[in-house]
Amino acid sequence: MRSLCFAAVSTVMLCLPSATFAGDADAEEQAAIDAAVEHVASSVVQIQTVGGRERVEGVLFGAGPTTGLVVDPDGYIISSAFNFVNKPSSILVRLPGGDRRPAKLVATDHARMLVLLKIDAPKPLPVCDIVPRAEMRVGQWTIAVGRAFDSPRPNVAVGILSAVHHIWGKAIQTDAAVSPNNYGGPLVDIRGRVFGVLAPLSPDAAGEIAGVEWYDSGIGFAVPMEHIQQVLPRLKKGEDLRPGLAGVSLKTPNPFTSPAIVTAALAKSPAAAAGIKPGDEIVDVDGRAIRRAAELREELGRRYAGDAVHLTVLRNKKRIVCELQLAEKIVPFQHGFLGILPMRSGENDEKGVAVRYVYPNSPAETAGIVAGDVIVSLSGAAVRDRTALAEQIGNVEPGGKIEIEVRRGDDVQKHTIALASLPEDLPPKQLPAASNGDGEAFPESAHAGGARLQIPEFPNEIWVYVPSGHAAEEPRGVVVWLHGPRGYDWRAILGAWKSHCDQDNLILTAPKAAGADWTPDEAALVDHLLTEICGKYAVDPARVTVHGYESGGNLAFLAAFRNREAIRAVAAVEALPTSPPPENEPSHRLAIYLALAGKSKLQPMSEPVQATLRKLKIPVVSKKLGDATRYLNAKELSELARWIDTLDRI
Amino acid sequence: VRGGEKREQGGEKVKLAILILQFAIVFGFLAAPAAADIPETIDQVQPKMVKLYGAGGIRGLEAYQSGFLISADGYIITVHSHVLDTDYITAVLSDGRRHEAKLVGADPRLEVAVLKIDAAGLAFFDLNKAVRLDTGARILAFSNIFGVAVGEEPVSVQKGTVAAVTRLEARRGVFETLYRGPVYVLDVTTNNSGAAGGALVNRRGELAGMLGKELRNSLNNTWLNYSVPIDELRRSVDDIRAGKFVATRATDASKKPQRPIDLASLGIALVPDVLDRTPPYVDSVRPGSPAAKAGVRPDDLIVLLGDRLVQTCKTLHADLETIDYDDTVVLTVLRGQDLLRFSLRTAGEANPTKKDTP
Repeated sequence: MRSLCFAAVSTVMLCLPSATFAGDADAEEQAAIDAAVEHVASSVVQIQTVGGRERVEGVLFGAGPTTGLVVDPDGYIISSAFNFVNKPSSILVRLPGGDRRPAKLVATDHARMLVLLKIDAPKPLPVCDIVPRAEMRVGQWTIAVGRAFDSPRPNVAVGILSAVHHIWGKAIQTDAAVSPNNYGGPLVDIRGRVFGVLAPLSPDAAGEIAGVEWYDSGIGFAVPMEHIQQVLPRLKKGEDLRPGLAGVSLKTPNPFTSPAIVTAALAKSPAAAAGIKPGDEIVDVDGRAIRRAAELREELGRRYAGDAVHLTVLRNKKRIVCELQLAEKIVPFQHGFLGILPMRSGENDEKGVAVRYVYPNSPAETAGIVAGDVIVSLSGAAVRDRTALAEQIGNVEPGGKIEIEVRRGDDVQKHTIALASLPEDLPPKQLPAASNGDGEAFPESAHAGGARLQIPEFPNEIWVYVPSGHAAEEPRGVVVWLHGPRGYDWRAILGAWKSHCDQDNLILTAPKAAGADWTPDEAALVDHLLTEICGKYAVDPARVTVHGYESGGNLAFLAAFRNREAIRAVAAVEALPTSPPPENEPSHRLAIYLALAGKSKLQPMSEPVQATLRKLKIPVVSKKLGDATRYLNAKELSELARWIDTLDRI
Repeated sequence: VRGGEKREQGGEKVKLAILILQFAIVFGFLAAPAAADIPETIDQVQPKMVKLYGAGGIRGLEAYQSGFLISADGYIITVHSHVLDTDYITAVLSDGRRHEAKLVGADPRLEVAVLKIDAAGLAFFDLNKAVRLDTGARILAFSNIFGVAVGEEPVSVQKGTVAAVTRLEARRGVFETLYRGPVYVLDVTTNNSGAAGGALVNRRGELAGMLGKELRNSLNNTWLNYSVPIDELRRSVDDIRAGKFVATRATDASKKPQRPIDLASLGIALVPDVLDRTPPYVDSVRPGSPAAKAGVRPDDLIVLLGDRLVQTCKTLHADLETIDYDDTVVLTVLRGQDLLRFSLRTAGEANPTKKDTP
């Protein structure tokens, strides 16, 4: 009998909650939301600004009121940096009672896009309660609170906690509507305790307005309050906080599965200073084990410039602890320039590097070096060949001093020379021959018209022309020609380039787009093609150039930026890079040749793009063609060929 | 959990629990007719919604919007818009019945229109039973957003919260709508193509507002999802139905005094207005002027006119036009880090013209 009763009870219990108690639950939820907002409301202030710019980065900014959160009874208020991007001339804080106070911007956290304001508080301001990070659970109620409207009560948006560990560990996420209506305000739990401060953030982009495009989308972010409390003392002192950089490049096909193996410690970076080397695997950051590259990015991403961090690396199966201090920015490495072109032949005949040409007004010319001189030693050590010389001088930046010995006849002179930066001029009108064997007549080879080449996995039609006649051991430069959208005609391409290939000992290769036009995936084709050619022929690594017209130019930039190990130059006609290249490495020199028509639609972007490249210390030669958009004519093409011929400059 | 506890405490209590529960089942339902069960609420609201089709379909203007019934004999209210700008308005009821709708009248100031179809015995919202909502109230919004529903398909339902109860800022250019009154701002994207004229209800299905048009908030350059409270519409709707509605157009000009004050009369010259948003810094103060007497100084930044924030030279000039020449002008300025409040009066000044008597 009793068991029957139990059965009855449980049946009843099961069908109850959805029906009878629903009304009460709804009222209770409503009351809880109201109470939560009420609980935090006295700490949520309205911020008004006067003056300021109307547009920032092309985005129109309203001057409407925004929100801040009291974090200290003394009158410290945290808000979103977004609310101040237009650089207003003054800031007023309106307290919940209506009292207005002028505010000063004390400091900015550029890593999390927050600002700290200070007002003279008339009396101690109420400070909110905080949800400890350990108590956060995805699925919890969240209420986003702001003061953007003309209303005595703060505005609210209700949702749930969507994630507690996003934007590389810096933010929590909610599906409540987050927008300029509540940026700078608190995200609270159902008890009115603060999870964090709402701010637009983006996992990929940095900057004050990154992430704004996601407003009211169901993807909103907040910086955890616990973190804000930790950095509050620094912000109060007026210290601006910025993301901390270590300066390691990782080569990771997939950062979520691959270990954090260093491909380079950027020159002049904290990582380089701490002795981190290519090939090191980073396995621990301040006691947290790192198994994947993404974990390293997250762990370093939450730190600030100036923070000290201990990285443990695995090198030759040994664990080595490196201490480094994260930097605010890493000054890009710039390659130094002596001012000569080296001779390319006769390298095995005698020690040293013979000078082919001396650039006017270069450090070499100032030192009195002339063509025909032979550089025999650098820093007291004998110079093996031009590649070794270029590599050693490539480690020195402009202004840095080198000591060389130069032989002229039987006379050897020592020079101490301060290097300059790589030239950005069009090439000299005339250049002496690069090798002594030049000029002799050579028979037309069987492949005078070029040969077909096939790269496994790629359906593309590829032609290649290899000049004959030069000494077989003399390494050749490479030009990869990427056609524009108006088609591919190998005979025409070779017709234009053949004489230059023969004269300058350049291999010309031109793949054809697999489809109607190039796709970004075909950048990998360029990698494979270069590997194939380097495997078949002796290639001069200093003169590997990718050359493209229009869409081919875009692909050329894409290919060069992802393969800085192999590609030394991009020559683009009617194309600009769409993203910045990776940082300079001493051993990865890159030069860029840009040719644009005077009336090209790219012309307005040209200056800013060049400025970005120069900021990264990449030399850019800019050539203005006639008004109409077109490919290079014969004269311009020989100038480009001459430019390619100077790429082994030292 | 509670059931489990009781189970251990013996038969008597179990029986009692069953009794209480049965009681709750039998009487609980009856005693709470408006329990906020969302599916039930939706079932109860849907028959009151109509899909409206009219003019449009070109230049990105949709030829459809939403509306709802306010009487058993076929009165419908909706937003006054271009869709109604035709002799052929079609109303499709939730059961798929199509009716030709007649435009009874509209109040352009409130952007509300009343339509009528020939029908009887329809489910409807009684405007006299409409409720008011507070910030934080959880709502459901019913509309034919993007025209997704056709024929007998019910309109779309969205859930959300009243983000704020506020007034649309009356200053020109902030909101491109004629309506200047209280609104419910919602935290959900309700105001999209075709949604205007939809119904805003609370969780019990009680009518609270009519969804507005697509509207941008130029104060912070975001889309504003708003709904007009029924209380604001009721009188105009009743008048339109009774055939005694007279359109009153409140224009900006009517609010302006015949002789407004200006900065020159106060003795203030601002810095040259050269930027998009030149902050209103005082460049010079004429000696002996009302401003000088009150204590305004060069380099003061004017931040408030009365209680209204002044953000640029342009808005200061525009806002002064709403103040009568003879009224006291209260300016708050920022000097260093101090907010200082000054009352300026032109009365007693050498007044070049006599006051017009209305």
